[in-house]
This record gives sequence, structure tokens and C-alpha cells, in this order.
Amino acid sequence: MSVMTREAADEAPFGFREGRIEADGFDIRVLEKGSGEPLVFFHTARGIRLTPAHARLAETRRVIALEAPGFGCSPVNARTRDLPELARTMMAAASALGLQRFDLMGHSFGAKQALWAAIQDPEAVRALVLIAPSAIRPEDWRPPTVQEGVEPEIGRKQAALVDRLFGPPVDDELERRMGEIACPVLALFGTRDELIPTQFARRYKQLAPKANVMFVYDASHSITEDRPEASASLIEDFLGEPEGFLVNRTSGALSD
Amino acid sequence: MKAAIFTPCTYHGPSEGQGWPTSARVYSDEAAAETFETALAQARLADEVGFDWVTVAEHHFAPFCITPNPMVLAGALTQAVKQAKIALLGADIPILNPIRVAEEFAMLDAMSGGRVVAGMLRGTPNEYITYNINPAESRGRFEEALQLIKMAWTEPEPFGWQGRYYQYKTISIWPRPVQKPHPPIYMSGSSPESGEFAAKNRVGLGFAVTTLPLASKASRHYRNEAEKAGWTPTGEEIIYRVGCHVADTDDEAMEDLGASFRGRSPALSLALTRRTDEVIAGAGYYGRDEDQRGRVARAVQGDIPSRIENGQILLGSPETVARQIRHIHAETGAGVLDLIPMQGDKALKSIELIGTKVMPLVRELN
Repeated sequence: MSVMTREAADEAPFGFREGRIEADGFDIRVLEKGSGEPLVFFHTARGIRLTPAHARLAETRRVIALEAPGFGCSPVNARTRDLPELARTMMAAASALGLQRFDLMGHSFGAKQALWAAIQDPEAVRALVLIAPSAIRPEDWRPPTVQEGVEPEIGRKQAALVDRLFGPPVDDELERRMGEIACPVLALFGTRDELIPTQFARRYKQLAPKANVMFVYDASHSITEDRPEASASLIEDFLGEPEGFLVNRTSGALSD
Repeated sequence: MKAAIFTPCTYHGPSEGQGWPTSARVYSDEAAAETFETALAQARLADEVGFDWVTVAEHHFAPFCITPNPMVLAGALTQAVKQAKIALLGADIPILNPIRVAEEFAMLDAMSGGRVVAGMLRGTPNEYITYNINPAESRGRFEEALQLIKMAWTEPEPFGWQGRYYQYKTISIWPRPVQKPHPPIYMSGSSPESGEFAAKNRVGLGFAVTTLPLASKASRHYRNEAEKAGWTPTGEEIIYRVGCHVADTDDEAMEDLGASFRGRSPALSLALTRRTDEVIAGAGYYGRDEDQRGRVARAVQGDIPSRIENGQILLGSPETVARQIRHIHAETGAGVLDLIPMQGDKALKSIELIGTKVMPLVRELN
């Protein structure tokens, strides 16, 4: 365990505990809360930002957010060459935490990582949740060089790493392999996402036919910040019964 | 200028009282059947004499308009009307299942070869009581339902919807609308909020049960807001609904109207009790336009000449009515007139005169 900095303490709201894990030669920060079935979270290009949705999910399961090497206060990561490799490092971290088979949730940049993780390590991923995935982006899309709401120095470091690892806006290799994903998939898209147009959602359905593509109304790219209850309840529903997700089991009957 | 014939399907059999909901203790199956026959006959004739649209509306629990589901009548119209577009003004989307609405519109578009005009309205305040929907949620439901319906029409892959008011795990409607990307959409636009929303979402605007000064003000607001949103509505994007009766001469038209009113109240039987209306107003239904509340009641007051001047009725010979239409067009920029025929057997002749004598005089207006 490293000494917890004041910044690090501020970055772990909602009572998440901070820890560290050695994996693949990296010292990786871990934020964790709750007990029950494990749900591993891969963050966006802006680093770990916990939301009330994460807190709500932690009420019914063990939520584990892993900080990718080179993000947050961790040293510059010059070693990782691409996203498939970063995904392997992250899965090694989960394994080092003793997790054999777990649910995996990724947001934006983290969702692309999670797709690679599910493709490379199908045994480990029970179900996959993609939040505003940015695996398929407009052709002229460039990651923002200034990261809003992030300390400037960290933001510059993260933006440079994202730019180097993200891969092309249309990633033929990933798209070719998405059909291999056999686990249940839930993909959430905000109806007012300013980065990923809603028309991009259908590509996930075409590439991974078993995916449940859902629009979260009135949410931007930051779906779990904009509509924490709406997104967390949906994710709970899905993870509770991934194969029977489409069926409504809530009773509309008045009680006696 | 385009002409639409509005078939309100006003039941003219026996009934009790004007209140809402109206008791059906006294009711005639024959009168209801005749009402639908009349509506279809008027629509057929309008189509033959060159009307551009036939329109239907949604109202509940009252004899004023016996098309609680206008989609059903529109289904018949797809077969009865060969050329004209079939406009639903509208579906009251906040009180309905939006997926069902998207499916029904798509069916009608498929059955009519792409002739559907999709009006989506909030409905009159009492409609919220009909299906037990909180009227305070009217605008929020409307905005979400509209976006969901458009998504259901245009999204080729199955998708789910996690809305504020609507949740569906998977949606993939069949059939699909013929018109691409989707049928033209209109909403009702008397309040400033509606005009702003319509402009922002690039949908057309309809005015009904209004006055010329109110519609003129609302139309200006809509067009200004559209400019801000980077587009310019055409005349066809603005519908003006108004009662209309045309005869060979002005005097004859006036006589017809008098005869039609005798023994029958022209008032819309949509009035709620004062107490209920206050509760709905208190729930925030009317938005920020004070003109809105009581608009229906005020709009049917006044003598005939002042109602003509106010753009609440078109009445007279073909030349006179053409002049009245030019006035409405100049004031509002409306490019579609949705004309409500007078009740009674003189309506068919009026429809014929509108198609053959009036429209040729005003068709070039846009």
C-alpha cells in the first residue's frame, strides 16, 4: 500500500476504499466498495470519476474501479503499446485481486478496453456493460487535448496517453473480433451525447448481435453522472438476470 | 396554399348534457354509424375536388368528436381517399404508449403509400383524466415521446429506451414508415414553449381554436426561434384550422350558417368543471402563456362578423372566402388551411366549392 495522498482521498467519494495492487509490473490504484458479486469498472479518458450510479451499484455488489497505469497520480506510462495490451494489464490486476470470473463495466475509452478484455479473456467476463462506448467514433474525431474537470498536468498526461492508445476511430481489427463476444452485453448510449452520435449505437448491435443496445434519454456522454438512478437500475436489472433482461418482472398490480 | 378537410366526427344523435365526460345513457348506434359515413363521404369528396389533406383528431369521452383513436378512422381513410394526404392532428402522445403510436403511424404510412402527416399533440386538459396521466407531466412526456417515436421510426436495429417517463427493453417496429426519414411531424403551437420546442426540433406547427392575433403572434415567435435554430419554416410548416362554409353567394352562406346553428349549440362540449380546470392549471399544464387558459371558451364567443374578422370562421362566396384566406395567410404565414365543415347537408356543396372555386384563387400563396 502506498501512502494515500490528500488528492487521492478526495477522489474516492461515496465511501469507496482506496488500495493498490501489483500487476504486470505496474502499481495500480484500486477503489472498492460493497460486497457480493464482483463488478470491475474501467474508467474514461479522464480517469476514475465515481458517480452516484457507482455508489448505488455498490449497494448490491462489490464494485472495483481500477485505475489504468498512466492515469491519475500514477507515473507516465510509456510502456503500454496499445489498448489490447492495456486490457491485458487490467485483467491481470483483476486476477491479482483474486477475481476469476466477474462482471465488467467500461465507460467510453474504458468501454473499448473492456471490449478487448472480453475478446481476449472470454472465460473471465461473465457479462459486459458498455457505457457510452467510444470504440466506434466519427472519422474526424480526435480526443480532447484539454480534459475538463481534471487537474491540468494530469489532464495533459492522460490526454497524450489516450491519444497514443485509443486506436483509429474505426478500428477494423476490433470490429472484426466483436462477433466473438459470447457473454451478454449491455451497451448504453446517451440521447444527447455530444461525442458519440446516437446513430453509432446500431453498429454495436450489428457487430455483436447479442448486445442489448439501450438509449438513456436526456443523458450526455457522462451517462452515469446525468442519470445515475436510471443507469444504475438498468445495469442492476441486466446483471441480475443477463439472459432474461428483456422480461419485466415488476408487478403493476395494486396490493390488497 | 394547401387545403385540408377536417372531419371532426361530431356525433349528432341524442345525448345528455354538455359536460365532460358525457353520459352515454342516451345514445344512438345509428347516429354514430351515420357520423362515420358522413365523415368518409366528406373526405372522399374533398379528395375528388382537389383537397391536399384530410385530417382527423383525437378526443375522448364526449360526442363532440367520436374518434378517440384517430388511427382507426385514418385506416379507413387510407382506402377511401386516393390522392390526399392523411393528417392526424393528432395523436395525443403524452397520454398514449409512444411505441404503439410509432407503429400505428408507420402502418398508416405503409397502407397509404407514404401519405401520412404525423401530428403529435398534448391534447386538451381533460385528456389527462381520460387515461389517468398527471397533467403536470404533459410537456415532459410530450418531449420524450416525440424523440422516442422518431427513434422508433428511424433506428434500423433493435434498441431499448431508458427514459424518464417511458422504459422499453427492446424496440424494432414493423412495418416501417414509407416516407424517409419519417413522416412530417406537426405539433400544436399556441404557447411560446411549444413554438420554441417546434423550432428547435424542426417540426411544423398547427393552430386551432385560436384567433388571428394570437396565431399571428405565435407564428412570429415560431419563425424567429426557427431562424435562431438555423432554418426557415415554409408555409406548409404552419397549419391554421378554422371553420369554413362556402356557398354561391355571401347571403346564402350566412343563411346556411344560421340554419345550422338553430336548435344546436355550436360550443365545443369539452368544458371541464371549473374546479377540475383549476386543479389542472395548478398542476402547471398551461405553461407560461396566460392567453392559453380559457382560450377555448373565448374563441367561440362573439358575433359572426367579428369572428370572421378574428380569423375564427371563413364564410361567404368563393371570392369572399378567398379574400379571408389571403388575410389569414398574410397575418400568420400559414400554408395549410385545415377547414372544419359546417354540420348539416350543406357541407358537401361547400366542400365542392372550396375545392373547385376557392382553392384555384389562393393556391399560389405560400
